[in-house]
Amino acid sequence: MYEGKKYVTIAWLLVLPALLIRVFTTIYPIVETFYISFFDVKLLRGIHQFVGFQNYINIFRDSKVQESIGFTVVFVAGSMLGHIVLGIMLALILNMKIAGQRVLRTIVLLPWAMPMVVIAMASKWAFNNDYGLVNNFIRWFNPSFQLDWLIHANTARNAVIAVDLWKDLPFFAILILAGLQFISAEMYEAAKIDGAGAIRSFFKITLPLISRNILVLSIFFTMWRITSFDVVYAMTSGGPGESTALIAYRITTEAFTNLNTGYAASIAVVLFIVMAILSGISMAAAKRFDY
Amino acid sequence: MVTKGFRPILLRCFMWTLAAIVAFLILFPLWWIFISSITPAGELFSKPLKYWPVHPTLESYQYLIDHVGLLSKIGNTVIIVGLSIVIGMIVAVMAAFSFARFRNKGLSLAVAFLLGSMLIPDVVTARPLYDFLRQMQLYDTYTGLIILYISGLLPFTILILQNFLNDIPVSIEESASLDGCGFLQSMMYVTLPLLRPALATVCIVNFITCLNNFFTPLFYSNGISVLSTAITQLPLRDNMYAVPWDLVSAMGWIIILPIIIFVAVFQRQIMEGIMAGGIKG
Repeated sequence: MYEGKKYVTIAWLLVLPALLIRVFTTIYPIVETFYISFFDVKLLRGIHQFVGFQNYINIFRDSKVQESIGFTVVFVAGSMLGHIVLGIMLALILNMKIAGQRVLRTIVLLPWAMPMVVIAMASKWAFNNDYGLVNNFIRWFNPSFQLDWLIHANTARNAVIAVDLWKDLPFFAILILAGLQFISAEMYEAAKIDGAGAIRSFFKITLPLISRNILVLSIFFTMWRITSFDVVYAMTSGGPGESTALIAYRITTEAFTNLNTGYAASIAVVLFIVMAILSGISMAAAKRFDY
Repeated sequence: MVTKGFRPILLRCFMWTLAAIVAFLILFPLWWIFISSITPAGELFSKPLKYWPVHPTLESYQYLIDHVGLLSKIGNTVIIVGLSIVIGMIVAVMAAFSFARFRNKGLSLAVAFLLGSMLIPDVVTARPLYDFLRQMQLYDTYTGLIILYISGLLPFTILILQNFLNDIPVSIEESASLDGCGFLQSMMYVTLPLLRPALATVCIVNFITCLNNFFTPLFYSNGISVLSTAITQLPLRDNMYAVPWDLVSAMGWIIILPIIIFVAVFQRQIMEGIMAGGIKG
């Protein structure tokens, strides 16, 4: 450790570039977001008028925003339920001691490494009734299957969640795998000697030992899901209607397409506050579990 | 624990089946995108789907090069991603070094601020940042984009490097200073080489993060087009279908192929990076 006055300058000089970049790209704009959320900014007409909390009040009257919030909640809940249940199963598969395990782990890394926008663009086609991969696959088992996923609200929503799972579930599983590897083989052997079967030792040993790990991961993944944008941008453009417009997509539409900058800022502030609360919870959870 | 008999073999087969299903679910869509990219456009709409190329052709790739400016998009991506990683690493190493080696109240606040700013979602700051960049005449410039890409990398990179630096004893630098090394010299010649494995891991992960960055080039550039946004801006070739699927799959495969090679080569380092930080996807 370096002590003394002459190092204080060096210390600050080293930090300065990083600090400047972050202030310029996050702190200044977020303060600005808070500020303009109290104004009626119509860029096209150049109106810039203080309206107090009117923008925030309007959120409660805007059925489009409410629909977005509704779908965001469904999306996050559905996605996280899938992540947790299927993620544990996938992590167990990745943890199996079989030949080719390394190859499997490499394959599993692929979706994480690919841009969501590429996957989402491909999905748009994959969910096509006539020429898409998904239905063609289903028709191997049920030859008469017909469904145009992306033109019905509910199936489009399910498709969006499915794509999100395909992309991020493997990554979630890898992080659970990290937790699994801390469990010593001796515990399982001891359980076996005591006569516990595979299922029993999963629920009595594995699950309790990785449960905190899963909790912390789930909170982080939830936070990333809440701000999901590119999956619906590239796959459904929020449609059909407004049924898959996640809240992040709605904010950018208000801000960049409808040019309701002040209103978009007020929704963004609400989103930010939700995120801040969640991150507070996640930090408390992370502290209890040394992640 | 070697037990002979029928059950272990059955178990083994079961495990293999599971592994095969997982591999299939991930690889099959990629194969399908590849097949589509080398199928003549007219044949894409044939039923039933063909999972083996009947008349392979590179015409979609040729079209991307001739009419969509693929090469300039690749050039833009290389410039922006390359410079962002190099400059970003330098900035991050400096900050991480300062945080790991010096202590005072102001610095602790700076750390808290840097890590805290990670929690601000892109979408919350998008519009003011867009207006600000226009005012500063950084909108649609390499400089502007590179600054934003670097900004996205900084918190995570600093966090990881600082963790690694904390594990390198200060006494190494102290003994170097006894030999007459100044502070900066001992940092450059003694500590930095020890940090090399961590730097490699973080670089690899940052490379993927930058390639996948979609939000930044979508909102803060227009003329400068990179690969990740180009796939959403492909020209429509006929009126029948909203998506020019042959071009999308070719462009998709151009983005995916380097990533597949990269992941195959650096599997271990990527895993380490993920385990070290639980990186944002």
